[in-house]
Amino acid sequence: MVTRTPKHPLEDIDEPVMPSPERMRSPTDIEAVTIELISGLFILIGLGAFALLFVSINSDPTIQAITQGRSEQSLILAFLDSFGIVVPILVLVLGGLLIWLGVRLRQRGITAARWAQLALVWLSVGVGVLGLSAFYNAGRPVLALTDTGFKWAEAVGAIIPHAVILVVLLVALRWLSRLINVIFEGDETLTARDTRMAWNLLIPTLAVLIVVAARPLEETFITSLTDKRFAGTQTVNFVGLNNYARLLSFRLDIVPCRLNEETNSCATDTTGAVRWEMIDREMLRQGFRPVSTIDLGGGRGLTISAIDASFISSAGNTLFFTVVSVLLELVLGLFVAMVVNSKFRGRGLMRAAMLVPWAIPTVISARLWEIMLRDNQSGILNKMLVDLGILSQSQAWLANPNIQLWSLILVDVWKTTPFMALLLLAGLQTIPEDLYEAASVDGANRVRQFFAVTIPLLRPTIAVALVFRTLDALRVFDVFNVLLGRRKLSMATYNFETLVQNQDGGYASAIGVIIFILIFIFAVIYVRTLGVETE
Amino acid sequence: MTAKALRHLLGRVGFWLLVIVIAVYTLFPFYWALNSSFKSEQEIMEPASYLPRNPTLINYQGVFQNDEFIRALGNSAIVSATTVLLALVVGSFAAYALGRLRFRGRTAMLYAVLSMTMFPQISVLSGLFAIVRDLGVFGSQLSLIISYPIFTLPFTVWVLTSFFRGLPKEIEQAALVDGATTFQTFRMILLPLTAPALVTTGLLAFIAAWNEYLFALTFTMTNPSARTVPVAIALFSGRIAREEPIAEVMAAAMVVTLPLLALVLIFQNRIVAGLTAGAVKG
Repeated sequence: MVTRTPKHPLEDIDEPVMPSPERMRSPTDIEAVTIELISGLFILIGLGAFALLFVSINSDPTIQAITQGRSEQSLILAFLDSFGIVVPILVLVLGGLLIWLGVRLRQRGITAARWAQLALVWLSVGVGVLGLSAFYNAGRPVLALTDTGFKWAEAVGAIIPHAVILVVLLVALRWLSRLINVIFEGDETLTARDTRMAWNLLIPTLAVLIVVAARPLEETFITSLTDKRFAGTQTVNFVGLNNYARLLSFRLDIVPCRLNEETNSCATDTTGAVRWEMIDREMLRQGFRPVSTIDLGGGRGLTISAIDASFISSAGNTLFFTVVSVLLELVLGLFVAMVVNSKFRGRGLMRAAMLVPWAIPTVISARLWEIMLRDNQSGILNKMLVDLGILSQSQAWLANPNIQLWSLILVDVWKTTPFMALLLLAGLQTIPEDLYEAASVDGANRVRQFFAVTIPLLRPTIAVALVFRTLDALRVFDVFNVLLGRRKLSMATYNFETLVQNQDGGYASAIGVIIFILIFIFAVIYVRTLGVETE
Repeated sequence: MTAKALRHLLGRVGFWLLVIVIAVYTLFPFYWALNSSFKSEQEIMEPASYLPRNPTLINYQGVFQNDEFIRALGNSAIVSATTVLLALVVGSFAAYALGRLRFRGRTAMLYAVLSMTMFPQISVLSGLFAIVRDLGVFGSQLSLIISYPIFTLPFTVWVLTSFFRGLPKEIEQAALVDGATTFQTFRMILLPLTAPALVTTGLLAFIAAWNEYLFALTFTMTNPSARTVPVAIALFSGRIAREEPIAEVMAAAMVVTLPLLALVLIFQNRIVAGLTAGAVKG
């Protein structure tokens, strides 16, 4: 048993550790009152948190309008829109914990006292951050257009309440730290100490992740059920799943091809593609627009049409891009990894070279490829291919709708194959050499060895690499945005256009949620079928 | 015997051809950027040549006289450095807790962090947009500093956790016997030991923040003076040539990429270790 008094990390840690956990003396009356005061402070803060939540809900203008019968809006939506779920639950839980801690403090348990110290430290930090934010927001000129300078008076005025609370908290912390060995009994167990320490260390990460991940994600989910817009202050209406219905409604129709009256066969356009008949007039009237038609042969085609043709085609583009580029990267990456895995002079140099495409910012490599893919002889790819006699004339790599996606895949494969190869290389190096020796003693040739030894042993690495790359490819934004702009969209660029150009927050959020769910589904499928180990 | 030697020779030649093909394939686009950055705008429009016919430094001059670009460089440096610092401090705390301490809820936390590494940035774009606006930082560099932990922090925590876990248990026990507190053990013993890991993760986080485009593009839409380098390069307008200043863009790209490449090549072993620590050990 270790019998030392654990000290709080933020105390002066160079002080020698107290040798004995025993109570040094009985508390005086004043000290006993002090502890009652600190315990009271905790209960007060807890109740204050509840009260603050209640008051701010009650004074929310939208909610007031509804409760007073001035608005027909849904009360739940108004609440979710203004407060979300995460923050109210957090306030309730933390308030409850503080009250409980206050009650426990009066029973003089050392564990409660240690937790109380921790709570006071983080409450002070929290109040400090809020104060700084209030300071900044109050002093900042409201409209950036009129540069009136920083308004110091307002800023200082805004920070005063925070400063007062901060002082109270710090005084309480000081008292508690001084009295901790006088008033509180017992010895904190090692497990309890580890637990407290762990949560202490995790609090900053949790706070950051709540602000930048949990809150925004929740906001996206809630907004996706509304018609919220970004500019302006129109009232927000709850539209249920309408956004999703508009995004996801598509239909498949079998259509005949247009007949060429002279030859009595299917008519083609200038590029040689078959021309198809339109889908039913009734469907067009309902808002369905054809996205693309797949040739089924025999003069029949399968037309995919959708209410939001741009979204369905962006989803198609993204899926095609993902599947083709990830497969190519896997095959090429495995190939490169095996070459680099064999020992040769300059192998280190080769590995360094492989980091180059990865390190170049995607935006820059996209602009670079934009130049290499130019549609005349000033584009190096055209020049090379024509010089070598592979192409007879220059291609419009980025303008021709039939090869646009392949050009992007080319860029992506160049950029990420080395990364894939490095991951696979690390996996290859964990395969023991004697397995190959054993296989070759048994008479297996190189090909046989590859399929019997390399692939099975590399499976976990391949799985992880596939997960990483697929999830990355599904949310592809940079290359599409820079190289194709609005000419051809991926789901992410469509989301961006809807949000920034059309200012349609509700609709954009619904797209975001769909991407999220799609990525989630892919991740689950991979984990299930390939058995990725997470631990 | 000779047939075997011939086959061996052919094998060697084939192998080296493969190596050369792979090297050219990975490096050629980079060479092309370098090549283009030394050409005049006029030469860029002519049929491509493998070497610049009249090498010129005018593009680099243009880049360094471009105030917008210089400001973007400064913005990128501030945003990336702050992001890295935040991620390392906050992340190493969490990683120590997850890697070295035993407590209830540890596995749940690990899974929560892991799920964050797979988080699609684009899904939170509209939510984050609203939060950044509510905080009153929309259009400033601060909006980027606030939002970048979404991809740097989970990754940092994950990699550092695996590093912390790899350290032998005896270290802490020895420190404990000597009477150090948990925090002392963390600060004075474990942290110096993980310095190499901190350098690696810091570098990876820096590259990720330096290259980020989606948030930077969205949040600085209304305020060009807060743009970071990727946005500036994507929306580059030239000083010398009015329209499509291609050679200048390439010179700017070189200015941005070369320091990054130098860093990557110096620390290549550490970077590969860091990249694969998250993935292969999983």
